[in-house]
Amino acid sequence: MRIVIAEDDPLLREGLALLLRAEQLDVVATAGTPDGLLAALDEHLPDVAIVDVRMPPTHTDEGIVAAVEARRRRPELAVLVLSAYVEQSFATELLAGGAARLGYLLKERVGRVEEFLGALHRVAAGGTAIDPEVVAQLFARTRPDSRLDRLSPREREVLALMAEGLGNTAIGERLVVTDGAVHKHIRSIFAKLDLPPDDRADRRVTAVLRYLDDVRRRS
Amino acid sequence: MAQQRSGSRRAGRSPLVAALVALEQLPGALGTALLALGVLVFGLLVAVACLVGVGLLAAPAAVRGLHAVADRERSRLGRWGPEVVSPGPLPERLRAAAADPATRRELRWLVGHGTGGLLLSAIVVLLPIYAVRDLSFPLWWWAVPPGAASDSLTFWDVREWSDVPLVVGLGLAWTTLSLLVTRPVAALLAGRGRRLLDAADVDLPLRIAQLTATRAAALDAHATELRRIERSLHDGTQNRLVAVTVLLGAARRAVPRDPAAAEEILERAQSAAEDALAELRSVARGILPPVLADRGLAGALSGLAATSAVPCQVAVDVPVRCAASVEATAYFLVAEALTNASRHSGATRVAVDVRSREGRLGVRVTDDGAGGAVEGAGSGLVGIRRRVEAHDGTLQLTSPPGGPTTLTAELPCGS
Repeated sequence: MRIVIAEDDPLLREGLALLLRAEQLDVVATAGTPDGLLAALDEHLPDVAIVDVRMPPTHTDEGIVAAVEARRRRPELAVLVLSAYVEQSFATELLAGGAARLGYLLKERVGRVEEFLGALHRVAAGGTAIDPEVVAQLFARTRPDSRLDRLSPREREVLALMAEGLGNTAIGERLVVTDGAVHKHIRSIFAKLDLPPDDRADRRVTAVLRYLDDVRRRS
Repeated sequence: MAQQRSGSRRAGRSPLVAALVALEQLPGALGTALLALGVLVFGLLVAVACLVGVGLLAAPAAVRGLHAVADRERSRLGRWGPEVVSPGPLPERLRAAAADPATRRELRWLVGHGTGGLLLSAIVVLLPIYAVRDLSFPLWWWAVPPGAASDSLTFWDVREWSDVPLVVGLGLAWTTLSLLVTRPVAALLAGRGRRLLDAADVDLPLRIAQLTATRAAALDAHATELRRIERSLHDGTQNRLVAVTVLLGAARRAVPRDPAAAEEILERAQSAAEDALAELRSVARGILPPVLADRGLAGALSGLAATSAVPCQVAVDVPVRCAASVEATAYFLVAEALTNASRHSGATRVAVDVRSREGRLGVRVTDDGAGGAVEGAGSGLVGIRRRVEAHDGTLQLTSPPGGPTTLTAELPCGS
């Protein structure tokens, strides 16, 4: 897997590169600015770009803008965005073009190396990785009387993991239940929320996030 | 608005009561008019003395006299109507006073009030006295020696009772005249005083504009400050901590594979954690230096001087504590000035002088360096200026080539 890292903090940039290289991943270039990132992407044509949200010059959302631009230039590029904090509008902006090959994680998730690598591989393989914090915020801000109340506690857990981008097997492993049980829960969730059933992970994420976002907006 | 209010209050009163109310004001007006005349004469004498060169020393006294009489008139007018807003401390030095619009209006008022105002108020005060004298003439004229009994204007030498009605008639005329002119004269004097002495009328829009601007600047400075803190937390401290977790994660993965590499990564993680702590300290210190809270402005500034690269002498005369944000601003200003002095000026000594007077905190930092300092982009002074102006204060940098460099600031002490 060929990777380009864009992060303006030198120490963090080197730390990330060190971690990924130690995992036998191919970090082909690192950049400290959005322009540097776009240039490196054009030059190296990597599989994945890991992008910090806040970069020079204004340290606001340059990373998001660069990520959106990079995907416009090369839709097959997988992008994993790292953010210092969860900002719903960033997630929405990123997900506007679909959830496939897209990740949005809090920076500190990188330290949980197994999970971070899992998310990285998932995104590179065409899946989605949404930070549990983003999902939790969407859940927390929904109206109390929404259709979510119809879900059982276990179904809500499954829904949250689906929203993060996990596949059925991964969900089963997390919750220590069988694949069959996960299937049953998901069918029930889709039925209760009137969502069209779909097996592809990224479509599921999009559907679930749109649903949660809708509920949040109406509240 | 004030005029309307007092107008409606007057409505419904008989002309006699209204005239009596107006009459009450006039001895006061006469008093300030006499004072005005005194100051006017003094001012003219000073002006003449200036021509021969010795009057300049007395000029501030004349200006002070002008302010004092104007203030007395303001408080007199305030007793009989809405408060007359004082323009606040006015300049005493001749040149500044001559350029000050409020002082110039005071002067215009003084000239009019000390001459025409004096005459009018004297007449209006005399009219009722004449009226009473002449109306009561039948009661006492026979008691005064012959030849001394006459009307108030001494038109007639009254020796017979047949002359008395003339005097009483004159008394009636005085009464009528008094009833007619007292109110207009009082209104004229008060109106002119209010027009020329009330700071609110002319300066209020200006003051409001200034306050609005400084308030906007304060909010802006506040927002800038918050943004700076937020950024240094997110992009500084938090990134260090993220680096710590990343390195710790990498170290854990490395332990089974390559313990020596893990050890090295752990070492880097530890120094990243120490960096995070240092960052956190500097962020906290940038919000409010703890030393200010612990030791006050004088102690904090002595601390700064002790660590200054250039020998620094500190004189602090601030008997009361100022608002924390004001003290912090003064502290950062001195810190910035000391940094600049040691970095750029080549100075061998720096003097810091901080004193508070009449609710304002004055800060002055002077070095004996090469001068030529400019307040430009990238200079910490820009941030300091923003902070000072946000507190409605002023900041001045004088740094001629060859030195010395002086940085002066004045801040309102209040919160």
